Amino acid sequence: MNEALWLLLAALTALLGMAWLALAMPMHWKQVFTHTAVQPSTAILRLLGCLSLLVSACCCVMADSLSMAVLVWLMLLAGAAFMVAMLLARYPTLLRIFWP
Amino acid sequence: MFANFRLAMTWLHTWFGLVLGFILMAAFFFGALSVFDREIDRWAIPETRFAPQHMPSFDAVLKPVYEKLKPHPDDMVATQKRVIGDLPHPDTLTISSLYAYTTHRDPVLTIGAEFDIPNELKDAADEHAHVHGWATIDPRSGEFLSDDKLKIGSNWFYPMHYRLNWSWMLVGYWLVGLAGFIMLVALVTGVIIHRKIFREFFTFRPWKRTQRSALDLHNLTGVVAFPFHFFFAFTGLVIFASWLYFPVGDTLLRPLHKQHEVVEAQRTGLPNEPAGVPAPLASVDAMILEAKRRWAARDMPGEVGLLFINHLGDINGYVSLYRAGSDQVALVGQAIHFKASTGEVLREEPPPSVVGSINEFLTGLHLQHFEHWLLRWLYVLGGLLGCVCIATGFIFFVEKRKRKHAESGSQGSRIVDALAVTTVTGMLIATIGMLVVNRVLPADLVGKGDWEKLAFWGFWLLALLHALWRSAPVAMAARNPAWAEQCRVLAALAFLAVATNWLTTGDHLLKTVFIDTYWPVAGLDLSLLVGALIAAWAGGRLACKSTSFPGMKQEGEAYE
Repeated sequence: MNEALWLLLAALTALLGMAWLALAMPMHWKQVFTHTAVQPSTAILRLLGCLSLLVSACCCVMADSLSMAVLVWLMLLAGAAFMVAMLLARYPTLLRIFWP
Repeated sequence: MFANFRLAMTWLHTWFGLVLGFILMAAFFFGALSVFDREIDRWAIPETRFAPQHMPSFDAVLKPVYEKLKPHPDDMVATQKRVIGDLPHPDTLTISSLYAYTTHRDPVLTIGAEFDIPNELKDAADEHAHVHGWATIDPRSGEFLSDDKLKIGSNWFYPMHYRLNWSWMLVGYWLVGLAGFIMLVALVTGVIIHRKIFREFFTFRPWKRTQRSALDLHNLTGVVAFPFHFFFAFTGLVIFASWLYFPVGDTLLRPLHKQHEVVEAQRTGLPNEPAGVPAPLASVDAMILEAKRRWAARDMPGEVGLLFINHLGDINGYVSLYRAGSDQVALVGQAIHFKASTGEVLREEPPPSVVGSINEFLTGLHLQHFEHWLLRWLYVLGGLLGCVCIATGFIFFVEKRKRKHAESGSQGSRIVDALAVTTVTGMLIATIGMLVVNRVLPADLVGKGDWEKLAFWGFWLLALLHALWRSAPVAMAARNPAWAEQCRVLAALAFLAVATNWLTTGDHLLKTVFIDTYWPVAGLDLSLLVGALIAAWAGGRLACKSTSFPGMKQEGEAYE
């Protein structure tokens, strides 16, 4: 698989991971689902979030050398967390796609 | 003095952050622009809009170029002050060492040289008995580019990032260094005073009153990009540590440093001093071929990033070729050194030590000469998040105090707010205004670069005066209308920059994106358009909300 695809995958899994970590917080879960869905176990969402971020790191390593991958991953985490926070602030229901 | 540790840290964070925040804002913003400094150069100097070039042939292109290169008039003036007697005519001086540096983003080539001078130096401790020459050339033809044309990206925005373009007594370097150090302090104290780092990790509540939502955004942008903020402030300090903050090799440990140079020369076989015996220069192109062959044999094929010749024309002369670091975090590496007169390999650099590797990684991650466009854009994002963090810090400071100041008649909030307008929207106006002036002034205007610099400071000064002039409502706990007005000016200027680029060069976005794709120009034009839209939207929102002008003691919120 080529480098761009690995990086795309890394970005998507970083976003997914951050979204799950946010949904693990009851306050944000309520923002996204209001009262339409029961929140699954916080531990499961956290575990999924962390795993997804780990997959993102692996994708970064597949795309670049380790020293470069560390930089890309840390910056992707920042971008993904900021994007999730902005979605929560403006369009929280969009985050429903991460827990269909 | 303070009731508890957290309050002490809050004081430190607030006041040091406020005072140095204005400088930090410039460091972050121009740092973000510097990620694409070469691309901004292409936009500002249309005749250099061609594809990046590899290091050209030395024997055919560069050798005649260096024969034409003369000491730079600016450095002649500076050097004259350091020496006894008049300097010889620049045409009579000969080159003792030279360099050429390029990266995967450079269509033009930066070259430079040191010329020996016979004069004695006024200061016995001064060992720089030479004068410098530098130039930018078109590597396809060897033609010199006019010195009048300012590389706005790499020679104006980039130096703004690390020395505020204030060279006198190195004040700019020291101010930015101090601000970088305070950034580290602000990050640590910020973590200490932030009570809910994890619980509020994703929290931004724009619907709450401005004081709260600004603090949310301040915390959010500070926390999510914490590694970026920390490592960039830290590595920025590391880059300048050895020659500016702790120049012990030139001061306290000078004898040891000199001795180290001698030992190093013996160890590496690269002569420290010329022998005084003239010798011709062998084919450098052949050395380049040999270097590339050796890099390929080590399974790291690459191009020459840095070419350096020391003791030119002397039997002790040597040629150093450094591999361009496009595929690594380190800037350049894997150097191979050749004897200049014969072309034989003197030394192939072994991999750096652990400490050397860490140093190369830390400086390389900051200076970013690697080829990784996604990471470049993520760095821009990091820099802009830093700007948002600082700007919301200012807004929080003002919001927290302006009502109290209005009641007591203090002008504190008013002044801070006006300075915040100047540092946020004013800085953007200066930046984009400079680009507009660059496109409007005739290409062959004498001293064009100086006019552009003047325009930059002029726009910024106007923004400051405007922000102060319109600041009276802040003293009554309302909002300064300058925020909205400067946003609108900004939007207009950004549209104008794109339009003038089209009109003066014919490079409109359809052409640079689809027909004759040229991303350096298209990228800047698109960024300007996005910036214009955001500024217009922000200006509209700010103006709309300020219509509900709150009374001094009214509960309504000025920014909401």
